[in-house]
Amino acid sequence: MTIDEKVRKTLKELEAKTPDEVNNLFAGVIAAVESERQKLVTRGTADESERERLAKELRDRWLARKSGIISSIDECWLKTAPKELKPAVGRAFNELRKASAVLETNELLKAIPLKRRGKRQGELIFSADAGTSKMGGRDLTLPGYRRPLGSVHPVTQVMREIEDIFLGLGFSIESGPEIESVYYNFEALNIPESHPARDDWDTLYVNSQVLLRTHTSPVQIRAMEKHGAPLYIICPGKCYRHDNPDSTHATMFHQVEGLAVDTDISFADLKGTLDFFARKFFGEKIRTNFFPSFFPFTEPSGDLAISCVFCEGKGCRVCKESGWVEVMGCGMVHPEVLRHGGIDPGRYSGWAFGLGVERFAMMKYDINDIQLFHQGDARFLEQF
Amino acid sequence: MKVSLNWLKEFVEIPVEPRRLKADLIGVGLNVESFAEAGDDCIFEIEVTTNRPDCLSHYGTAREIATLYRRRLKRLEFNLREAGAPASGEASIEILNPELCTRYCGRVIKGVEVKPSPDWLKQRLEAIGQRPINNVADITNYVLMELGHPLHAFDLSRLEDHRIVVRRAQAGEQLRTLDGVDRTLGSNDLVIADAVRPVALAGVMGGEDSEISSSTRTVLLESAWFEPVSIRRTSKLHGMHTEASHRFERGADIEMAPRALDRAAGLIVQLAGGEILRGVLDVYPAPRPRNPIVLRRSEVQRIMGTEVSWEEIERSLRGLGFEVERRGTDGWRVMPPSFRLDVSSEIDLIEEAARHFGYNRLPSRVKPAPPRIIGSRAREVELRVSDILVEIGYREIIPSPMVDPEENARFTDRPPVVVANPLSQDASAMRSSAIPSMVRTLKWNLDRYRNDLSLSELGKIYTTRAEGLPEEKRVLTLGSTGHRQPASVHGEEKRLDFFDLKGDVEELLGAFEMPGLTFEPSGGGYHEQGLGGRFVAGGATVALLGRLKEDLARQYKLRQEVWLAEIDFDLLLKTPLRHPSFKPISKFPPVERDFSLIVPETATYSSLEAAVRGLGLEETQSILPVERRRSEELAAGTIPKGHVSLLLRITFQSPTHTLASEEVEAASRRVVEALEPLGVRIRT
Ligand SMILES: [Zn+2]
Repeated sequence: MTIDEKVRKTLKELEAKTPDEVNNLFAGVIAAVESERQKLVTRGTADESERERLAKELRDRWLARKSGIISSIDECWLKTAPKELKPAVGRAFNELRKASAVLETNELLKAIPLKRRGKRQGELIFSADAGTSKMGGRDLTLPGYRRPLGSVHPVTQVMREIEDIFLGLGFSIESGPEIESVYYNFEALNIPESHPARDDWDTLYVNSQVLLRTHTSPVQIRAMEKHGAPLYIICPGKCYRHDNPDSTHATMFHQVEGLAVDTDISFADLKGTLDFFARKFFGEKIRTNFFPSFFPFTEPSGDLAISCVFCEGKGCRVCKESGWVEVMGCGMVHPEVLRHGGIDPGRYSGWAFGLGVERFAMMKYDINDIQLFHQGDARFLEQF
Repeated sequence: MKVSLNWLKEFVEIPVEPRRLKADLIGVGLNVESFAEAGDDCIFEIEVTTNRPDCLSHYGTAREIATLYRRRLKRLEFNLREAGAPASGEASIEILNPELCTRYCGRVIKGVEVKPSPDWLKQRLEAIGQRPINNVADITNYVLMELGHPLHAFDLSRLEDHRIVVRRAQAGEQLRTLDGVDRTLGSNDLVIADAVRPVALAGVMGGEDSEISSSTRTVLLESAWFEPVSIRRTSKLHGMHTEASHRFERGADIEMAPRALDRAAGLIVQLAGGEILRGVLDVYPAPRPRNPIVLRRSEVQRIMGTEVSWEEIERSLRGLGFEVERRGTDGWRVMPPSFRLDVSSEIDLIEEAARHFGYNRLPSRVKPAPPRIIGSRAREVELRVSDILVEIGYREIIPSPMVDPEENARFTDRPPVVVANPLSQDASAMRSSAIPSMVRTLKWNLDRYRNDLSLSELGKIYTTRAEGLPEEKRVLTLGSTGHRQPASVHGEEKRLDFFDLKGDVEELLGAFEMPGLTFEPSGGGYHEQGLGGRFVAGGATVALLGRLKEDLARQYKLRQEVWLAEIDFDLLLKTPLRHPSFKPISKFPPVERDFSLIVPETATYSSLEAAVRGLGLEETQSILPVERRRSEELAAGTIPKGHVSLLLRITFQSPTHTLASEEVEAASRRVVEALEPLGVRIRT
């Protein structure tokens, strides 16, 4: 028996004699409301006029004042119900009326998807199944649709982190050429050809006067010449060495150079600033240790070691059981170097440092092969 | 350098355990890399910086230890018993080039028996990594390791006329050195010669002919001082690096020359017998001047940042061998010892004071820089561009800019900067195009089954210039391949095409104030014909973009097409970033109008858009090409051949009122009129 036939029979004809049987009967009707509605809103998109027509048809079939299904039920079931079933039928009928409110034309219009003609602004389109718990059978545990984001290279990230710390202290950023003159790379930095210290930098030459800079230190001289004192700068950039590539050596790598020149600068400023920097970068817990070293362009010269981040200073393989890891060279700018930069060493003094960015990144991210930085392997880049 | 703890103890008392000694030596700048127990001894491996040749010996190291722990350093005293005839009767020494050899000392020992060294000597040498040879050779080596002064022993009978002549080699002279190599000498090489020919390369290595052998009975011991620069030049030229040249090129101790000689002579008599002839043959024509240095206490404080007591500075310097004399109220007159050629100015003395004061005892202060703005713009632009690149999906790469120049030439005519001493052909020039690095990186990933990639590099390109340093230009390179969106439950796959790349470049350039920016299709170069072009602003090319040519892609054995763009970053740095300037938001509704157009294929979209924009209609809010079909794609006869159909959607909106339909109609008519001269018709 179709729903249309049912609603034209009386309860007696339908053999509904108890409240339970009445409730079952009504439940069937509510299910029909839901299923017909579903059928309409999921049949596909419609344009405006089609949508209006479809909505009106369904609404009239159920809710039309004279011949609609609801009014039939009123006539055939409620009005003819025996006295003892009247309260049950009345309650169930009210439920049905509430449930069938979704068939009002306005409600249906909202639910039937409109066929979009190009871009139309200002109108929200709800999908048919929005608001229902099942989402039309879609598995919400599927991964979301992610738009691919890019990434910043770890060397750049570390470089920026270093820059930010020094920018916060009022330093500026300077740069200089990667293909440098022998003068700026060596001679102005107190490293004459005749001194064995020159051999500490394995150098790639373009010709006898031009080379690929072996460190960012030439920018010290260039910046002093250009800006004079007082001067507080850092210079990040690429450097090159005549080194066979292996897991700790690269022909090309990055350094950050730092330089502070002023009238009242002492070793205390070097210590304080680099200690602040190291703790800011590696974490507040680490301790710093300065010990003497030799660089021709600084005097007194030093190396900065930090307590090993891996064993917290207890001694491990990374720190060769010493508890300390050297992280950068530093020192007071040599008076000759100040002079080469056009600055009077009697009036001004300065401190400087140079650090390897890849090495910092290796320590920070626990990377064991410097070659990974420059290969551009997506499997590496994706991790940062 | 390897140093034996027992040997050190012959010169100084060491009050601490090896582990502590290591840390303390590092604290004064002697970089102890490791130490290892060996029997009752302990061997330290010390990395000595190039400025401290005085520490390339046990005695020199002991001096640092003595200063460190305030112990006494044992004085060197060698009581020699000379015998027989004067040495000057047996041999003669002459220096022809005193500018290269400042001092030459010799002793003659007669009646030696050359044989293997006793065990204690062998063991000492072996413990520090030296190979024993025979007693005489081992003794010279022993004294080198003990006192740091290189010695050489000649078989006197092999020297013609028993003469030593220190001179420059004549160009073309031959010498077979102890390593068995025949060397052709030049006039810059300083040699030790006998009356006729060279017998040693001065300060570097002896000759085979005059080598000590088992038949040697008379030894001439050499202890000299050579000019460091000359030794360095010769050792570099001949590719020879020896224990002797290592010390001479750093600067040996000229006063140690005769003492080391005495030390060795005494040991030879003790271990090889014979007698030391009377007198040292000491040729020292012009003694090296020693210059005192003024050290001011105020300067010590200015550099170290703290006050150090008179006594502490004096104790350190004296311990290290300096003669220190107080002068006035503010300092000292300091005479550096002969073994400290690295100390010649006040700052050198301050470093000595600071080293032994201890860097960790120095105060610490953080002083922010005074306000001064030096160029912050580059960084601002870099950060903006980097943000956009991350947003639109590009991963940053940092390849080395060193490339194969032949590969570079496939992408540019600009000459790269060729390196004179490259490690390999693959990295023998500084690129003049960044494209090879990008293509190589894409290939690296494609070869590893990474098919969908978008990479970016902000780097430099380099090219030679007629004068001065090479030119360095900053360039932003984009490279992509594969899919913008891979197939998934969420939708069909979408392959990258030209307009993905172009859109990315537009997104980047959109961050800049760049009026008059136009796009021109331009194939050629490394781009595929018909799939390449450039953005131009103010007559300059801002960006080149397109698909890599197929034949190049084949050469690289790329599995799929790749898209490449290069953007002139120097130009971006000169261009202001777009500065937002607020325009009131219209409260009135926009109206869309669709124009269904028939357009000749010769009329480009950009000319159409320019024509519409050229009207200057205030209400034109946006122009969007919605659909474009070529006549071939449509049913025959729909539009004429050589034409395309284009659906153009223009949005009109007024800032001041709701547009009346007559206004929209009027604007639409003007649009159509503006397009007519381009051969465009409305499709009916
Ligand atoms: Zn550790």
